[in-house]
Amino acid sequence: MKKMKRIVSAVLACACAFSLFTGCGGKETTADQGNQGSQTGQTGGSTETTDELKGDIVFWHSFTQGPRMEKIQAAADEFMELHPGVNITIETFSWADFYTKWTTGLASGNVPDISSTVATQLVEMIDADAVIPVDDLIDEVGRDKFYENALREMTAEDGNCYGVPLYLNTEAMWYRKDLLEKYNLEVPQTWEQMYEAAKIITEGENGTVYGAAMPMGTNDMLATRWLHLYVRSAGETLITEDGKANLTSPTAIDGINYWVKIFKECSPADAINYNTLDEATLYYQGKLAFDFNTGFHISGVETNRPDLMEYIDCAPIPRVNEDDPVVGVETNTTPLVIWKNSEHPEICKEFIKFMYEEDRYVDFLLSVPVGMMSGIKGVTESEIYQSNETVQNFQHADEVLNQMLEGSTSIGMEYGPRAEAGLLTSQRVIEEMFQDIVMNDTPVEEAAKAAEDKLNDLFSTLG
Amino acid sequence: MKSRHIKAQITSFCFILPALTVLALLLLYPVVTSVFYSFTSKHLIKADYEFVFFKNYIAVLTDPDFWTSFLTNIKWTITSLFFQIVVGFLAALAVDRIRKGKSFFRTILIIPWAFPSIVIALSWKWILNGVSGFLPNILVKMGIVDTVPQFLSSANLAFPVLVMINVWFGAPLIMVNVLSALQTVPRDQYEAAQVDGASPLQSFLHITLPHIRIVMGLLIVLRTIWIFNSFDMIYLITGGGPAGLTQTVPIYAYNVGWGLKMLGRSSAVTVLLLIFLLMVCMLYFRILNKWEKEA
Repeated sequence: MKKMKRIVSAVLACACAFSLFTGCGGKETTADQGNQGSQTGQTGGSTETTDELKGDIVFWHSFTQGPRMEKIQAAADEFMELHPGVNITIETFSWADFYTKWTTGLASGNVPDISSTVATQLVEMIDADAVIPVDDLIDEVGRDKFYENALREMTAEDGNCYGVPLYLNTEAMWYRKDLLEKYNLEVPQTWEQMYEAAKIITEGENGTVYGAAMPMGTNDMLATRWLHLYVRSAGETLITEDGKANLTSPTAIDGINYWVKIFKECSPADAINYNTLDEATLYYQGKLAFDFNTGFHISGVETNRPDLMEYIDCAPIPRVNEDDPVVGVETNTTPLVIWKNSEHPEICKEFIKFMYEEDRYVDFLLSVPVGMMSGIKGVTESEIYQSNETVQNFQHADEVLNQMLEGSTSIGMEYGPRAEAGLLTSQRVIEEMFQDIVMNDTPVEEAAKAAEDKLNDLFSTLG
Repeated sequence: MKSRHIKAQITSFCFILPALTVLALLLLYPVVTSVFYSFTSKHLIKADYEFVFFKNYIAVLTDPDFWTSFLTNIKWTITSLFFQIVVGFLAALAVDRIRKGKSFFRTILIIPWAFPSIVIALSWKWILNGVSGFLPNILVKMGIVDTVPQFLSSANLAFPVLVMINVWFGAPLIMVNVLSALQTVPRDQYEAAQVDGASPLQSFLHITLPHIRIVMGLLIVLRTIWIFNSFDMIYLITGGGPAGLTQTVPIYAYNVGWGLKMLGRSSAVTVLLLIFLLMVCMLYFRILNKWEKEA
């Protein structure tokens, strides 16, 4: 009897140990889920099959703002209904988590089939041989429909295009009309005019509203963006054509001095630690007169302070001199990419094409009206798009943002996609430089030279 | 008899095998991998790497930023630990004296420990915000200060404020453990001391402290490791700024590994951290062993 008990115990223990290993085997589970998904698709309504597409794909995206998540899910559901053999699993991460997720996932093969990304990360993905070219897909949708600059940022040295631009974001200067009116101020055209207006508002509002904020948090890249806006508006770039950092040119030094002045005279001192959310929240709460952001500011203000909606608008990025031409400075493209590990690139391509069908695409763009700018030309002229209430209320902003689109690129991508741009925006060297200047009173030229050297050292590690 | 004993041992081993497997996978694998990668040029997202022997260690040990972060880390650990023990210990002594509602106060005081660090970080960031934060503005309204204090961006305040938040978070754990230890001290020893004319301070020094010092010692070991390795709270509140004033070694390692993507060099930082903490723990355990022998 005792012997029997021991045998049973041993068998149970082995079963426990075995279950540990079987628990790790996810492939079968996925297949089961896939079957369930397919069955759900079949019982969900239409069983019409247009082709023989069959398989499971995983789609990672970072569309957390607005009802975009629901729109993507609805498109996936519709696609699965049309193709009962296909199961699309959607996983959503914040932009910061997404980066950690794919970089660590690459080593273990745990990457999706399709994902959204940003241009600077796409360069890293191409460099790591993690994504596949999508030229055939772009040609099918219509290459000439896409903005040239956006496609250029997706194109690697081998001439292949690795991302399909889903939507664009252009930076503009956001301001508060009521505050300008209160202090009899015009919409600033130059950086100096913006400083003067910001100073008047800061002093007039006595700490309840700030004229502008100079965000320097080292857990984000806003100081880099602010300096880039100044330098690009003067026709220069932070990365030169030969791939070197440019922080010591007279324009760059002027830009650094300008933002230090803004920090000291118009900005909340806490901005030294600000990241994107902190900065945007200040504007959403109505505590900031001028800010630099995309059309996403509209939905942010609508959520936080709907009473301010009628007082916000945007203008082109200021210039150094009033007679300088108005130029687009920064546009960030959000492309969809297909991962090399995918077992079903054909499903991925079909699904992306499905996303670009006009009504569905416009419906997706309107989940954040004016915020997400179309990656395809002409789409926003459609009646559905133009009849949207937010689009109608923010027609001027929409026009400005479209004006800013021309000639603008992601930070550091002015001469095409390059890995240096990723280092420029991810290493916080410029944020540290600004903090060093304002905290330790380091002379601007000295801090700029040290930061430039540090960036060039980092660039040299790219090999 | 002997074969029955061996069979029983095999059965026992089978039962602990799953736990051993999990431990091996979860504890040994990351350590071994880190040590291995620290001798390579491993990049976060590139597949190819080569052996570079001690190059990563040399690069780290000759980087002034590493040493600045290390000193900040030591300062962070010592000040946080010291104040956590003082506050936790005093709270435990106070709660131990309470006759009614002891469990209520114990529950209330443990609340900070129950919060996830992301909630703590974002809540304190909101409370201390230099524009709309509740605390800075109430200080101005009460007339204590003239201008809104910049708790998280001032060179003089950022570090002490982070320590204060860490004390608020960590002291309850010390309190609960010390309180449990205090309740194991035999009451008759206090009565005997009172009969012998011992003062409260003498009772504390000669009865209370010897009884709880092993628990305290273990708490110090655990808290030292946790505080030294803490990353999330500092990263989420200040990101290591302003101007690197709150950058500790874990944040430095993160920036090297995830920012520069130099996983090999980042692994070297973590191995150095491991060696340092092992040395500290060995010192602690030597003292603890001595105390146990004395007891």
